Amino acid sequence: MVRCIGITKYFGGVRALDVVSLDLMPGEIVALVGDNGAGKSTLVKILSGIYQPDEGSIWLGDVKVPQLNAKRAREFGIETVYQQLFLCDNLGATANVMLGQEPVRYQIGPLQILDQRRALEEARQHIAELGIDLADLNSPVRRLSGGQRQAIAIARATVKAHRLIQFDEPTAALGVRQTKATLALIQRVAARGVAVIVISHNLDDVFALAERVVVLRLGRITLDTSVAGTSREQVVACMTGMTFRRDAL
Amino acid sequence: MHDGHDFSAGCIVKSPGLVSRIAAARGRNFGLALTLILCLLLISLFSPKYLSLDNLLVVALQVSFVGIAAVGTAYLIIGGSVDLSIGSQYALCAVASAMLARSMPSSLAWCMGILIGAALGLINGLMVWRVNISPIIITLGTLTIFRGIALRVTNGFGVRGVPRSFAAFGQARWLNIPMPVWVLIVLATAAQMVLHYTRQGRHLYAFGGNREAAEAAGIDGKRLLLLCFALNGALVGTSAVLAASRFGSAAPTFGAGFELDVIAAVILGGVVFTGGEGSITGVMLAVVLLGVINSGLISIGIDPHYAQMVKGLALVIAVTLDQVTQEQQERHRKKLAILERASSA
Repeated sequence: MVRCIGITKYFGGVRALDVVSLDLMPGEIVALVGDNGAGKSTLVKILSGIYQPDEGSIWLGDVKVPQLNAKRAREFGIETVYQQLFLCDNLGATANVMLGQEPVRYQIGPLQILDQRRALEEARQHIAELGIDLADLNSPVRRLSGGQRQAIAIARATVKAHRLIQFDEPTAALGVRQTKATLALIQRVAARGVAVIVISHNLDDVFALAERVVVLRLGRITLDTSVAGTSREQVVACMTGMTFRRDAL
Repeated sequence: MHDGHDFSAGCIVKSPGLVSRIAAARGRNFGLALTLILCLLLISLFSPKYLSLDNLLVVALQVSFVGIAAVGTAYLIIGGSVDLSIGSQYALCAVASAMLARSMPSSLAWCMGILIGAALGLINGLMVWRVNISPIIITLGTLTIFRGIALRVTNGFGVRGVPRSFAAFGQARWLNIPMPVWVLIVLATAAQMVLHYTRQGRHLYAFGGNREAAEAAGIDGKRLLLLCFALNGALVGTSAVLAASRFGSAAPTFGAGFELDVIAAVILGGVVFTGGEGSITGVMLAVVLLGVINSGLISIGIDPHYAQMVKGLALVIAVTLDQVTQEQQERHRKKLAILERASSA
């Protein structure tokens, strides 16, 4: 379990996050929604160790994590899939999925000899487990479509992440069919027992995918409930700060 | 993803043209090897002696100096950087090594020349890393600085009074093959293996392909870049020391235009200037091809000035072919993407 307690973050005089507390359970998909500037990306960046919170703490299970930085976050099994995907277009799917953790066959002095066969096997296994359909794992990923590239970025994140994967607008650049495939993919990732945060502007996606929805507004959580127990109207009301009348349901 | 036709949405995507398909499948190395063989056949037709072992060894010796430096430049460009100051580094390492040989054992002077090269490369690397400006601009500056230092320490004259023992390294032969050729063979082979089979090589490709992605995956880009610059300097130093040692002396005018010869060979060899692509095998084929064009045209009695033009033309044709191939593939990919969207709508 990943737990944020009382996270507050200032940028100059602006309070981007204001005492935000959030528990993330293994296998649970949490949609993080909110207007621009609500603090969604700030929260994601704090959890991935890019920003340090000014107040509050992050707990992994019962252990408090002091000073979470990007490298530590990765070691703790927290990964983030950004909109830009961060793929090396010149490399194949295998090399991209295994990037930074290539299996080594043996070492000669400082030189680490790659175990290319094991890399291919591991990458293929990860890709197959997620149900991604990809025939050629070695030709440069620049030749692949948007949906396939997204799938490779997700596969790479799942190699390392065993606690939490965060998705920043995963379907923003995709067509209808690719969106469906990506949402299904995220569900399979969560089914492996990893906590999942999805930032999305698309309420269709949110309601199709998530079990829980957390609404941020001006740095505060204004709604944290199960998807089954809420409605679009309530989510939108909490996002925009307009009063929500229950009789409107 | 299939490469030929896609009927999934009821329309046909034409695959890229035949030429670009062959180019993509066979690759640059195949084209270079083919051109090299054709050139050798053509030259031997007019000048049968060209293919004699003795002559080929002379050609190999001539190309080895550019070849050794090209290994380092290939690494740098694959990693998304470049060092334009290598001609001046070459001059500075050569004169420094020759001057040092007057006051210390020759073997130590050779090593010092190589170390000075590594230090010059490292200086460039540190500046490229610290200052957020294109490496082209920064190393254009150090190109002038290093040349200035070489001229200053020698007062513009060749180094005199170099002991005879200094020449032993560059003039040595083993199995009748000159030392510079051996050094090139060993270095190029090792460099290709490292690039292709090690984690470090993979990380260099990743870093050159997408710097942010590589660093997001935990690759230490600073270390990689500094290492490449230092390695490049050391290789330039090795090449310079071999040349100085071969001549038995050195002059501050050494290596004028050296950077252009080296970079031309590297690009012709299939290393893409924006980084992330290429191999040492291709670069070595290009080094040999350019050397053969150079010496071959002279040996069949054509004005050597034409060799310049032919070399330039070869480079222009090669990069044009690259660009056309790339654009065709890009168009093909876009069509597929449009189809993918159309079929899902």
